[in-house]
Amino acid sequence: MRTVKAPNDMSEILNTLTESIKAGKRKDAKAATEQALSENIDPQQILAALTMGMDDVGRRFKANEIFVPEVLVAARSMKSSMELLEPVLAESGYTPDHTVIIGTVEGDLHDIGKNLVAMMLKGANFSVVDLGTNVGAQAFVEAAQTHKASLIGLSALLTTTMTAMREAVALFREQGLAAKVMIGGAPITEQFAQDIGADGYATDAASSVDLARSLVA
Amino acid sequence: MTPFQRYQAVLRGEPVDFSPRIPIVMQYAAELIGSNYGAFASDYNVLTKANLHCAERFGFEQLSTISDPYRETAGFGAPIKFHENAVPECLEHPLADLDDISSLTIPDPWEAPRMRDRMEAIRFYREHTGDQYSVLGWVEGPGALAADLRGVSDFLMDLLEEPEACAELMKICVDANIRYAKEQIKLGADTIGVGDAICSQISGAVYEDLIWPEEKRLVDAIKAEGATVRMHICGQTKHLWPKLKEVPIDILDCDHMVDMTAARQVFPAHVVLAGNIDPVSGLRFGKPEDIVEKMRACQSEAGSGFMVAAGCEIPPGTSEENVQTLCQPLPVA
Repeated sequence: MRTVKAPNDMSEILNTLTESIKAGKRKDAKAATEQALSENIDPQQILAALTMGMDDVGRRFKANEIFVPEVLVAARSMKSSMELLEPVLAESGYTPDHTVIIGTVEGDLHDIGKNLVAMMLKGANFSVVDLGTNVGAQAFVEAAQTHKASLIGLSALLTTTMTAMREAVALFREQGLAAKVMIGGAPITEQFAQDIGADGYATDAASSVDLARSLVA
Repeated sequence: MTPFQRYQAVLRGEPVDFSPRIPIVMQYAAELIGSNYGAFASDYNVLTKANLHCAERFGFEQLSTISDPYRETAGFGAPIKFHENAVPECLEHPLADLDDISSLTIPDPWEAPRMRDRMEAIRFYREHTGDQYSVLGWVEGPGALAADLRGVSDFLMDLLEEPEACAELMKICVDANIRYAKEQIKLGADTIGVGDAICSQISGAVYEDLIWPEEKRLVDAIKAEGATVRMHICGQTKHLWPKLKEVPIDILDCDHMVDMTAARQVFPAHVVLAGNIDPVSGLRFGKPEDIVEKMRACQSEAGSGFMVAAGCEIPPGTSEENVQTLCQPLPVA
């Protein structure tokens, strides 16, 4: 028998979940998710509570109120919750509205920044397909087509690998991909993004969420 | 005035003709002599040839032994893969499980090939250039080495969740690097660079509680050996300054986003500020006239305790004209 929770109880559980994400308390987040699911709270409301937590983390990161370690523990807490929630969401027929293909471009082995962006995008309820590091342009094309991606995110840390971004964007245009292209990384500038025909550039992981949302709006 | 005399004079607060030039070069220098980054990082003969070539061509005051973050990590047992045109890759972190801290063994710098290679570079410089230049040895700072041993993401999370273990790990890192620094100083390094890039990514509170005590212990030990300390933390460091200013460093490398005027107000006058043109948009892709203007502004903001450098390493592909412009003598008013 399905029991509908009283609004106050429900909001208390979801609030606990949001606060656990914000504080990066993995065990608390997992427990709150388990409780929410056992109480038959709408999985999309649970997801909204998680997203609210990660949005707050992103806002504080952008404002330099918190730093990378706090973002990492928050993202890991969210991942723990999502492992429980995703099967329920899938069962209910829910899928995120947008898929992002992300990776570090060919010749570049750096992944910390790319991983942070992937975590923040997952926290913002994008479906993220992470291709890893040293990813060739053709692999982005194939993944974008396979997953019907709305966005492609390219990362580069080196001035020497920035040029791979230019070649990748050129290939995406040549192949007629519908996905918008966002780029980032230490040497990247707004001017460079414009020069190579990318659709957007973000200075940090939190800003990448704002950019991604604006590109699919 | 030799380059080394000019460098030492600025450190002592004495007048000089122009500001010393101490840019960091790695892949750029390797390619300038027709070699590659992999060879530069793995063979001191290439590293010294490339740095000497740059020093002579552009007028550097300092010869460097920096190549990549993994010399000590390799000493702790990590397998390292060299790439022709990319930073060496750490294939496996020696401390995959934080519970294994007690299994770490402090490396003997003479027995660890990559650590020894840096020492051979220092010996080469002194044997071949005498006291003409400052010779920069290098060790990783406590945060950077701990992150390299553990894996960056894991270590950053450990700082919040396993602070006592992190403190224990960083104590081992600093014990290892005090030993390494002492050996480099014995061979003739007058300056030891401390690279602790990871610190810009953590909060001031975590830095103060966990990293700062070990950072200070490392710097105190290097100073006790009579060497100069050049602190290099990539990125924005302003939130660390309240504690970093209490570490007895001699030179603070300022990345391009650092406000030199603000740094000058915080750090004592005897701390030299080095920097800080944006290596990519300012130096790699910038125009010579803009480079001149930026470096004049840096000197003006930093005052007499100033040395010329880019915010971080000179990127490969930078034109020789731009590096020459960066290094053209900047008279001290």
